[in-house]
Amino acid sequence: MKIFKWLLILSIITSFAFVSVHKYYVSITKIEYVKEKKSVQIISRIFIDDLENLLKERFDKNIVLASKTDETIIDGYIKEYLLSRLKITINKNESNIVFIGKKYDEDVVQCYLEIENIKHIKSFSVENKTLFDVFSDQKNIVRTNINGKQKSFILIPENDKGMLNF
Amino acid sequence: MNKLKYYLLTVLFVTVGVFAQQDEEQKEPQAGHTNQNKFKQLYDEFSTPNMYRAASGAPGSAYYQQQADYKMDLELDDVNAKLYGNETITYTNNSPDVLQYLWVQLDQNMRARDSKTPLIQGSGVNPAAQISTYANTYMSEGFDGGFNIQEVKGANGKPLKHMINRTMMRIDMPKPLVSGAQFTFSIKWWYNINDHVNGRGRSGYEYFKEDDNRAYVMAQFYPRMAVYNDVEGWQNSQFWGRDEFALPFGNFEVNITVPEDHILDGTGKLTNRKEVFSKDMMKRYEKAKKSYNEPVVIVTQDEVVEKIKTKSSKKNTWKLYAENVRDFGFATSRRYIWDMMAVKIGNKDVMAVSMYGKEGNPLWEDWSTKAVASTLKSYSRMTFDYPYHKAISVHAKQQGMEYPMICWNYGRPDKDGNYSDRVKFGMMSVIIHEVGHNFFPMIVNSDERQWTWMDEGLNTFVQYVAEQDFAKWYPAALSEGQSAYPSRRGPAAKITRYMGGDQDFIAPIMTKGLNTYQFGNNAYSKPGTALNILRETVMGPELFDYAFKEYSRRWMFKHPTPEDFFRTMEDASAFDLDWYWRGWFYTTDYVDIGIKDVKKFYVSTKATKQGKDIIKRFGMDEKDLVYFVEDGSEEHTAGMKSESISNNSAPLKEYLMDNFSAEERAKMKEPKFFYSVTFNKPGGLVMPIIVEYAYADGTSKTETYPAQIWRLNDNEVSKAIASDKEIVSITVDPKLETADVDTSNNAWPREVKQGDFDKFKNKVKN
Repeated sequence: MKIFKWLLILSIITSFAFVSVHKYYVSITKIEYVKEKKSVQIISRIFIDDLENLLKERFDKNIVLASKTDETIIDGYIKEYLLSRLKITINKNESNIVFIGKKYDEDVVQCYLEIENIKHIKSFSVENKTLFDVFSDQKNIVRTNINGKQKSFILIPENDKGMLNF
Repeated sequence: MNKLKYYLLTVLFVTVGVFAQQDEEQKEPQAGHTNQNKFKQLYDEFSTPNMYRAASGAPGSAYYQQQADYKMDLELDDVNAKLYGNETITYTNNSPDVLQYLWVQLDQNMRARDSKTPLIQGSGVNPAAQISTYANTYMSEGFDGGFNIQEVKGANGKPLKHMINRTMMRIDMPKPLVSGAQFTFSIKWWYNINDHVNGRGRSGYEYFKEDDNRAYVMAQFYPRMAVYNDVEGWQNSQFWGRDEFALPFGNFEVNITVPEDHILDGTGKLTNRKEVFSKDMMKRYEKAKKSYNEPVVIVTQDEVVEKIKTKSSKKNTWKLYAENVRDFGFATSRRYIWDMMAVKIGNKDVMAVSMYGKEGNPLWEDWSTKAVASTLKSYSRMTFDYPYHKAISVHAKQQGMEYPMICWNYGRPDKDGNYSDRVKFGMMSVIIHEVGHNFFPMIVNSDERQWTWMDEGLNTFVQYVAEQDFAKWYPAALSEGQSAYPSRRGPAAKITRYMGGDQDFIAPIMTKGLNTYQFGNNAYSKPGTALNILRETVMGPELFDYAFKEYSRRWMFKHPTPEDFFRTMEDASAFDLDWYWRGWFYTTDYVDIGIKDVKKFYVSTKATKQGKDIIKRFGMDEKDLVYFVEDGSEEHTAGMKSESISNNSAPLKEYLMDNFSAEERAKMKEPKFFYSVTFNKPGGLVMPIIVEYAYADGTSKTETYPAQIWRLNDNEVSKAIASDKEIVSITVDPKLETADVDTSNNAWPREVKQGDFDKFKNKVKN
């Protein structure tokens, strides 16, 4: 935790100006409603380093991501964590999100989640608190494509919810 | 054959005519407009060339630059982590201007308690905070950083009037400094060295609890002269923490006193090697100078392990001298392992050097020095022969930072010495990148404070080339199953996610770093990729490499601006690139080119309705023309075949007989298939259209239509294709080399591609 304390004291976020070390904490989550399949498809992209830090702190400090070993246990942690951080309410009912799996794409973990059996969407709200518990300056960008309408939200600790009505 | 072309033109002519009539029916008066053409020259954006900076992009006949020479005595207090310095600066005014005052940069003040850097960061109150976070955020005063300026005095020893404005200090000279004159003054200072791991920072120390030692990587540690030049006057943009540095060239004579058991290396030549090296080190050093394939260890891990059991209270002074450098950095610790290897650059030997703690091994002893050597070779090939005598890679946690001849790099195995590919390639890439910075901006000395992309973008581009070279020269560096270096930045397809992303969080490349939303993508990846695409796809390596080398050569040891780069690239290649700079560097437009429509035509000797109109209008005979009938149109009849009409059209046959010899006729193409392909461009960037036509016989042909095809219509263009083989599919940008953000419209017939989500879901299910 020491690093984050100091980060806060100095707030020298801008001095993260080193190449290859990403200097900002951002996740991007794409949410698409595919009506024919009655499915809300969610792909969440999180930096491997950030997620690894989180998993180390929360679950097991020996966790190393993308190390070519069996990651069944890690997948369990990611599932538990993401499902506790991501809340989606459709037509005023909280949705049951299914964690399908994850894959690595360079320095990013791509997590696949789905909400099944959605016949129509009249209202949609999304809350994404991923990594807010470790990075105070974390931003979670959520891009929705629902009923032909595209919308983008930036969720931050002070404003962690996005709402849409159709 | 000319006549055939004429007929095709006629078809177009008629089509245009129809549009013209529709336009006339439009009653609404139209507003005028300025020149919005994507190919408009950059006269509005560029400043007018002058005596300082020529229209060719080269330094002008009156180009000048200032010089700052430093003499410094430094002492490290390792116990209290403080650095003391006494420096004398001799400033030479080579400008034609009279200077009333000098500005000195005090970058350490960014860490002072009164720094304004934290004040420009937006922050919020969290619903809950850990006790430690709460205490440190709201109750502690924080780190006591920043320069303590003890005295500023002139060459005569008298105090000089000075004023500190945050990270800048104005020196008021007793009398104005005229053109060609020198001014010498000295500054005495000290500051508390920051912990660069826990406080983050480009320089500072890392503390190792297990043996109670620090490893120092020291930079922007001394008051440094600001740049005065013909474009900015004095650099007046403060150091907020992100945008890096603008520094004049000069010579440095630096004496650094550190504990006797420390190993130190830095910018410049070590002038008292015999005083600070043991006999063993000296012997190994001589061996390293002749070792071109494997590094020679100067200070071994075993020696370090033994040494750090105690701490010496004696001191050693390391003396370094550097000529024509823009900055000075050094690293010192009793924990450093040190290895070196010679590398031939041109006809000169350069020393590739690495310094690292034992926690860097086995990765660092295996790869750091080789990566340094390989980088120097690649960059020298792409720019100019590396002019300095050495390049050092120092291992420092979470770092990636560059100074002349020396840089700090991350990449650390775990406690058992294991590392993932991510750590390995992260380490190799960062070393290649930071060593590469010797060329941009240490030698081609652009203004980092104003234009991050000028060094980071150019460097990221050459880094890509150097990474690919590295894996070719050292295939053992790759992991199982890999055939090329896994570069993160460079290939076009890797930038599409950023460029096709949310426009609210994208800034043009020509934006000051501090004001960009996605610093890495904006200043590194996008310009690096833009140059890679320019090289590989738009200009071709031959033209590009010559011009890029010319830019590097023209501006080595000088201060270029963005326009000097843009202009040189055009001037040295005879390739007007204004459209490319405008689109890629001045806007946030992205590439999206697709196939809107493909129409098939049959050629016939029987006049169509439109054909009859033309005959009537020009008083022609039906057999004077051939006619194109669109597949599926009203006039299309079931019996029409795709065939060559030279056998059916008597006038065509006669024309060929009259105008061409039998030999020539035998070589003639006999097109049977006619198509009109319409390309559309939902993206704002103009780019060449690279099209692959695949034929029924299994062959294919790739055609590139230069970007200028978009000059008269920025939305869509059509091409008539006559072919002796049937086209079965058409693909735009088949090799993904243009950074097309949406490839779903790139194919005809339209391919229904399975989305990423469904693909993954199916894979998991199976």
